[in-house]
Amino acid sequence: MTDTESTSSSSGTPLLELTNIGKFYGNIIALNGVTTHVEAGKVTCVLGDNGAGKSTFIKILAGVHQHDEGEFKLEGEAVRFNSPREALDRGIAAVYQDLAMVPLMSVWRNFFLGSEPTKGVWPLQWIDKATAKATAKEEMAKMGIDIRDTEQPVGTLSGGERQSVAIARAVYFGAKVLILDEPTSALGVKQSGVVLRYIVEAAKRGLGVIFITHNPAHAYPVGDRFLILNRGQSMGNFGKDEISQQELTKLMAGGAELEQLQGELAAAISGVD
Amino acid sequence: MADTDSAETGTETESARNTSPQNGESGAAEAATEASETASTPANAADERIAFRGVFARMLVRPEIGAAIAATAVWIFFWSVSGVFGLAGGTASVLDVASTLGIMAVAVAMLMIGGEFDLSAGAATGALGIVTLMFVRDITGEMGGAGLSLWIALPLSLAVALGLGWFNGTMVNRSGLPSFIVTLASFFILKGAKLGFAKLIVDQIQVGKMDDLEIFAADRGGDKGYGFFQPIFAAEWDRTDHVWESRDFLYTVACLVGLTLLVLALYEMRFARKDKMNPAGLAVTLAGIAAGIGGVLYLHGTDGTSANAIGAAIIGAGMLIGFFGLAMWRYQPLSDKGSFSVSPGWLAPFGAGLGALALAVLAARSLDAQNSENVTFLVTEQGLRAILFVGLAGAGAVLLLMASHRAGIGSQLTRSIVLLCTAGLVVAIAFFIRSESASPKFRTEVFSIMLAIAALMAVWAIVTLFFAERRYPDAPADRLGRLLIAGGTLMFIIGVGTRLLYTVPAEIEAGISPAKFSVRTLWFLLFAGVCTWVLGRSKFGSWVFAVGGNKEASRQIGVPAARTKVQLFMLVSFAAWLVGTLLAFRLNTIQASTGDGEEFEYIIAAVVGGTALTGGYGSTLGAAIGAIIMAMAAQGIPSARWNSDWRFVFLGGILLLAVIANNFIRSRAEATR
Repeated sequence: MTDTESTSSSSGTPLLELTNIGKFYGNIIALNGVTTHVEAGKVTCVLGDNGAGKSTFIKILAGVHQHDEGEFKLEGEAVRFNSPREALDRGIAAVYQDLAMVPLMSVWRNFFLGSEPTKGVWPLQWIDKATAKATAKEEMAKMGIDIRDTEQPVGTLSGGERQSVAIARAVYFGAKVLILDEPTSALGVKQSGVVLRYIVEAAKRGLGVIFITHNPAHAYPVGDRFLILNRGQSMGNFGKDEISQQELTKLMAGGAELEQLQGELAAAISGVD
Repeated sequence: MADTDSAETGTETESARNTSPQNGESGAAEAATEASETASTPANAADERIAFRGVFARMLVRPEIGAAIAATAVWIFFWSVSGVFGLAGGTASVLDVASTLGIMAVAVAMLMIGGEFDLSAGAATGALGIVTLMFVRDITGEMGGAGLSLWIALPLSLAVALGLGWFNGTMVNRSGLPSFIVTLASFFILKGAKLGFAKLIVDQIQVGKMDDLEIFAADRGGDKGYGFFQPIFAAEWDRTDHVWESRDFLYTVACLVGLTLLVLALYEMRFARKDKMNPAGLAVTLAGIAAGIGGVLYLHGTDGTSANAIGAAIIGAGMLIGFFGLAMWRYQPLSDKGSFSVSPGWLAPFGAGLGALALAVLAARSLDAQNSENVTFLVTEQGLRAILFVGLAGAGAVLLLMASHRAGIGSQLTRSIVLLCTAGLVVAIAFFIRSESASPKFRTEVFSIMLAIAALMAVWAIVTLFFAERRYPDAPADRLGRLLIAGGTLMFIIGVGTRLLYTVPAEIEAGISPAKFSVRTLWFLLFAGVCTWVLGRSKFGSWVFAVGGNKEASRQIGVPAARTKVQLFMLVSFAAWLVGTLLAFRLNTIQASTGDGEEFEYIIAAVVGGTALTGGYGSTLGAAIGAIIMAMAAQGIPSARWNSDWRFVFLGGILLLAVIANNFIRSRAEATR
């Protein structure tokens, strides 16, 4: 199971390359021996059940935590980020499920938060509101997102719309790698579809996308590469041609257990009939 | 479409407009598309998913509006129940209290928007004043003090202040504890240190004296900057020294112009613009203005009841013609006026409003206006009468306006009729007040203001019947409206300011209202203005909202959250330094207990001004207005001859009301966005 890692190596250096990444909190091994890569214009899905180490993994990528073991290469260069800002400056943008936005602030302020366009000379610098509003609306339209009014607070948007604002923002600010932390987990079927479309759209525009999810049905249609985590260990790193959706589901849930569960369920249902 | 509409003459344009769907059954979406197709200016394309809000609903979205309305109500309340409140002397003392409170409240509001509290802010004002005094203190024959020049002492104490803010902020960031606990500790440390150091160094529980710098200047070779800094921090403007005979002319003109600008703003933001102006309307407007001015001159030149009535009628007619002409000139006519209908929806508040007015009149008739004996421990019969009348009449007015709003949901005709009835009632109450009241304040000022309001309401009722309401966003019109509001407010400030700052010989002879205005009010206005600009327009302001609204999210996005919070704490301690310095120059001596416990008043002022306790929402302008409300309560209660022990009951009540009202307004605002 561990030697499936080095199979489909692509032409040229991948955007992100992770080899045997490990992370320890004291004596707790949060992550161990994780290897995968992300290419420009491709979607790498990170799958795992709750507690599999997905959050730790993306926090290392986004600069919130640092890895203790292994190698983290960005465009062929070994890196180690000390803050989210540093990762952002190198083009790695993370979109978190519930932490992505300031709910009481307007859409355009959220869109430009931390990188507001200004006019004037310091200390008399003010935000160029007109430009900011127009750009926010335009950039979101490019992603196929039609926002009603950029002055409305983000808190009044639906979950899918909020994710999409965050994605459009990351794309606009020149992200090369976009990390999406369970963007679909709190959404309904239709809204999930909308977000999945934005993921494909972002990849089409040349970004490398890391899509974290625990739903193989969401991951398989959009993903080009699948990293499966379980209890901090890598369960494998596959290209799309190497694995089917069923196998993916099986691997994620720990194979044999799921089969047993299916058997039990079938028995229970036939018993009722 | 656009070609047919831009016809040669104005009347044709109007008739073409009559057929276009503006009102009634046609949805906002249709009206919006219609408008964006026909508008000659490239109006921003309306989105059919946004329901358009009326002019008043649009104004209510801002957090400080609630505070402004409350301030007006509190002002009217105390003004009507007290003799000196609202005169120059009373206003000077309100502004004096409001200034130091307001400087702190504005800074604390910014900190609260950033999601933190500073309980040491009150004690810090006294502490920093004492620090400055310790630096400059060096009295021959006495112990203590460094004897520095103010040129050195003030920057030094400012550095101490910023260090204090930095300490608070860094402790909160590093420890991860709630700022409530961290600054509670700072509060006790400061409180103790003030007392301890004062006793240790000068062996007293007070530290002084700033004006020794001047008194002992000869012995010490110069006043060490006192002559330079004293006017900056403690200059006073004594209005009895400033006589200006034609003051009231400027006051009247400025207020009239201000009122006109505000009404114009209301028209601009409410009505749908024409794409082709009708010059005939402009001519009508000019005729109306001429009639109005003629009426004013006639009224000015004559005396006697019938002449007054004729003059008032001419002015009223001039207003009607003027505003009607304005609407003819700029706005689209209304095709569907609806039909008059009586429904319980508006009849119920209308009846209740009539009842409240009747009760108000009854209360005024049955209580003795001259009796200033206490009927209870709290209030005199005179005061009770005023409270009952103002409260009931105010409630009646609100109910009647509510009735006209509800009546307008069905048809404009009904709304206009209800509004005209309301205007008539206002006139009746105005005459009642004039016949009942002994004080000139009511017989002239309140009477004429009420007549003016009634006239504006009547004109509004008639004009809204003939011209179409705008049901789509129109950014240029809204911008012009905001500009007019700003201009109108400025004219009011100029007018009222002139009246407060200057006196006329007659007032001096009568001994009315000597007043001293302090330069600290300018500091307050400057500080509030700068903070409002920073919060609303600068990058830093955006970050303040962000770290208060969602600290983790803003950090992830790349906002320097920790640094922003430290800077906010430093802003508060800068404000405390400013207030401490103002106090040191005003009082010369500062008690060790100065400022202790006032931090809660700052927080109340900020909350009254619409700032959320949870962070991420609020307004510095609102906090400034909140401070003025608190100062009005502090000054109004004694000047209404009430027992000032009840001040805190009043403050608590105001706080509770403010929080409830703000919550309501905020949820409404977010719902209607």
